[in-house]
Amino acid sequence: MNQFTFESKQKTVLFGFMGLGLLCLLLAFFLDSQPFHVRFWTNFLHNTVFFTGIGFISLFIYAAFITSWAGWYTQFKRVLESMSMFMVPGLILLLVVIAGLWAGWHELYHWADTEEVAKDAVLQGKSGFLNKGWYTIGTLAIVGIWIYFAMRLRSLSLAEDQNGGVDFAHHRTMRRWAAAFLPIAGFSSAAVIWQWMMSIDAHWYSTLYAWYTGASWFVAGTAMVILFLIYLKSKGYYESVKEDHLHDLGKYVFAISIFWTYLWFSQYMLIWYANVGEETSYFQTRMHDYPVLFYGNLILNFVLPFFILMRNDTKRKYGTLVLVSILVILGHWLDFFQMIKPGALDTAIHAAGAHGGEHIAGAGGHGDHGAFLMGFTIPGLLELGTMLGFAAFFVYMVFARLEKVSLEPVNDPYMAESAHHHV
Amino acid sequence: MDTAQKEVLFGLYDDEEVLLDAVKKAKGDHLEIMDVYSPFPVHGLDPALGLEESRLHIAGFIYGAIGTLFAFGFMTWVFTRDWPIIFGGKPYWSVPAFIPITFELTVLFASIGMTVTFFTICGMWPGVKNPTLDDRITDDKFCIAFQTNGQSKAEIDRLKSFLQETGASEVNTKVI
Repeated sequence: MNQFTFESKQKTVLFGFMGLGLLCLLLAFFLDSQPFHVRFWTNFLHNTVFFTGIGFISLFIYAAFITSWAGWYTQFKRVLESMSMFMVPGLILLLVVIAGLWAGWHELYHWADTEEVAKDAVLQGKSGFLNKGWYTIGTLAIVGIWIYFAMRLRSLSLAEDQNGGVDFAHHRTMRRWAAAFLPIAGFSSAAVIWQWMMSIDAHWYSTLYAWYTGASWFVAGTAMVILFLIYLKSKGYYESVKEDHLHDLGKYVFAISIFWTYLWFSQYMLIWYANVGEETSYFQTRMHDYPVLFYGNLILNFVLPFFILMRNDTKRKYGTLVLVSILVILGHWLDFFQMIKPGALDTAIHAAGAHGGEHIAGAGGHGDHGAFLMGFTIPGLLELGTMLGFAAFFVYMVFARLEKVSLEPVNDPYMAESAHHHV
Repeated sequence: MDTAQKEVLFGLYDDEEVLLDAVKKAKGDHLEIMDVYSPFPVHGLDPALGLEESRLHIAGFIYGAIGTLFAFGFMTWVFTRDWPIIFGGKPYWSVPAFIPITFELTVLFASIGMTVTFFTICGMWPGVKNPTLDDRITDDKFCIAFQTNGQSKAEIDRLKSFLQETGASEVNTKVI
């Protein structure tokens, strides 16, 4: 079977989960005791950035494979192409955040509050980059460029199916586009990561942050490819994709998990060693108010994938691969949770104190260290429901793309190499 | 090591695919291959020869774990028992500062341990005799070798015809 059919049963299940996600978002909006609906907005931003980033990193992986003349992945390159097209709905979701920024619907970003910036020398110093204009232009232009590259590669790849010849002209053109995309992606992703996520802790900065976030996307994206492939195989598609291909994808999850840990540790150790107050506050908050997430992050994203995927045969068995893929996707989602929530909650509470006086909610504020607050210091059911909703949306978009063309490319020069891939 | 002289009958092939088919046929014919030589790793040769998976990586894991424990334990002992010094206002037992050295010693122990183990298993110490059957098997020829000590002429002829039938471009004998 080389043609994917998006069954109505799958659609029903996915729409069900999307409805659940929407319901959880609405509940978070209306039931939140915190000012400025911070629980709703952080959940929205968290999942938007996480899944849009997975879309972006799929394109990055695809471009890196094309540039490095890799042939083993060719059979399932449609999956990477389809995943990268999630950037289109991702940009629409980001437009909601941008609209909220201009309309003052949310207090996610400390630097967006003009009253706060007026009395804050540090924020004034950063206001050349951290301002609404740059946030809007940066997001639109950069994600727009990514989408343009994704569409270029996709249309070239589809044109190759139709009329690709032995001169491999399409593939040559694709290689140029892919090679051009890599440096653009490297620099531009850092800029949007600073704006979307790092600027939530507006006073704090880390030069490793963008790499670190990118590595999170990379692990989660590769794990997502594994889950898609194993699911599609279980439905009878991609019979020629063997455990050798999954073995290599498992190696990617293993290797990039270690790379992520290296970056996590480098960021932590340098800040710990230098012991500069304005830098340590980031980890102080997370270690004392978010201990489960802080240490659980390392267990889920390093210890478990490291020891489970270390052996040869665990990377070739569907059971262990599915288990590790779900673990690391959940782990990096939790990592994003603890990167976004503390700063945003702090900003909202400060803003409420500055504007409304009596509006500060008791739980989760300062002086309440160690107490778990659902939705802020640990993810609650609403967060998990929202994640499932976004994940269903992601899967729906990917399936809708996969359905449009044949699952395996026809005239790609590397098809034979991919079919004979052997580890 | 087996120091006795070996009489070897070997065939040289021009192509690794032909070699791979020949090895599979030899397995089917129950011929006992002494060794196969190739200038580069041939995909699928190990399972065709029936070689079991190397256990070197298990040894590597054990060496690495020893390195981890040694580095971390030694630094813990030095900085908490033997010679406690305060560096930069950090506690004596500063785990983050130990991690890079622990990592380095893990890699060092694993790599040196695996190298020593590999050389010992293969008997590749200084002074080892390493006769080649033909110099071209390090360049562009692929070789299947049979040991023919004490074999009858009929058996040797059978091996010879096997090599010729499976596409060997040359069949030679050598005593090593």
